[in-house]
Amino acid sequence: MHDDHDELISRVVDELRAPVALDPAFDARVMAAVRRAAPGRWRLALRWWTEPRPFRLSPLTGLASAAALVGLVVLGARAFEPGQAGGAASTAPGVIVASKEGGSEVVQFVLVAPQASTVAVVGDFNDWDPDRTPLHATAGGGVWSVNLPLRPGPHQYAFVVDGKDWRPDPGAPRAVTDDFGAPNSVIIVGGKST
Amino acid sequence: MTDRSDAVLISQVLNGNADAYGALVARYRERYARFAVHMLGEREDAEEALQDAFVRAYRSLAQCADPARFDAWLFRILANRCRTAGARRARRSRTFVRDEVALGEASAEHPAERREWREEIHRALERLEPDQREAFLLKHVEDLSYEEMSALTGAGISALKMRVKRACERLRTLLGEVQHA
Repeated sequence: MHDDHDELISRVVDELRAPVALDPAFDARVMAAVRRAAPGRWRLALRWWTEPRPFRLSPLTGLASAAALVGLVVLGARAFEPGQAGGAASTAPGVIVASKEGGSEVVQFVLVAPQASTVAVVGDFNDWDPDRTPLHATAGGGVWSVNLPLRPGPHQYAFVVDGKDWRPDPGAPRAVTDDFGAPNSVIIVGGKST
Repeated sequence: MTDRSDAVLISQVLNGNADAYGALVARYRERYARFAVHMLGEREDAEEALQDAFVRAYRSLAQCADPARFDAWLFRILANRCRTAGARRARRSRTFVRDEVALGEASAEHPAERREWREEIHRALERLEPDQREAFLLKHVEDLSYEEMSALTGAGISALKMRVKRACERLRTLLGEVQHA
């Protein structure tokens, strides 16, 4: 096939490579459309938990991580043994195991938020839906709580304040995050993880 | 802001920072606007296709398998949008209109000749088959390799070479007539 790029074609190409002016409001229009299309925060959180992603681990780090995980599970099991002080000592300050109900644990979620108008808890137990589990304010206001039966095992959760401000539990250990995830809290319900 | 790589910006967008997408829009709008204008012939249509491509890319950002190659992924979306817009316009039998803004910015040195030359080029582009116009622009204006063009369009390399060859021949014929008129 012969070279198509002769002098005439070169002149055409030179002309077509010239910059094209855009409407000065183009960026603003695109970003307005993008914001309208922006997914809700709960959808982002759900995506973070449901999408597979590759990660690399050296054998040594893998062994250390496995040992640490076993240690956490053992500590969690001890914390929920009968006779422990309410079973709540090793859980976060904002999460208190209140009682047992069938195969589940009734967990009390508590958040101190004096300025909040609404507070909800979202997690893997309610599809990260801010509308499903609202917290109720105490009579004096400022302390929000809700009791929720949860299956034994680890659960990720966060609080949603005023319908838009996602907060991890201030006292709970956070889940591991990466560039694609938001920080969330962890609770291990029951004496053994599933 | 512009120093951040595409992959970093995409990570920030997926983490809930929609504003980070603005840097990607600023980074690629001019290059891809040029392609859209030449494919569709009118700035208004081109901007619509480009905006649509940016918004579709945003909605599907989590499906961008290789964030470092966001530009190629976005280009593929845009090329599809241009094909759809071109087909829609063909059904409306609308006249291929030149980029008035670009024409208005013609060189001050020989404005009349330059404007006329541009008009002829756009008129000739209009008369190419859409797949030939696309192949010509991708190869010679956007400087893509045939492998990149194949990945972008889904067409085979041999077919793309043939489209470019025919586009060049057609442009030579159409513009040669103008030059010798």
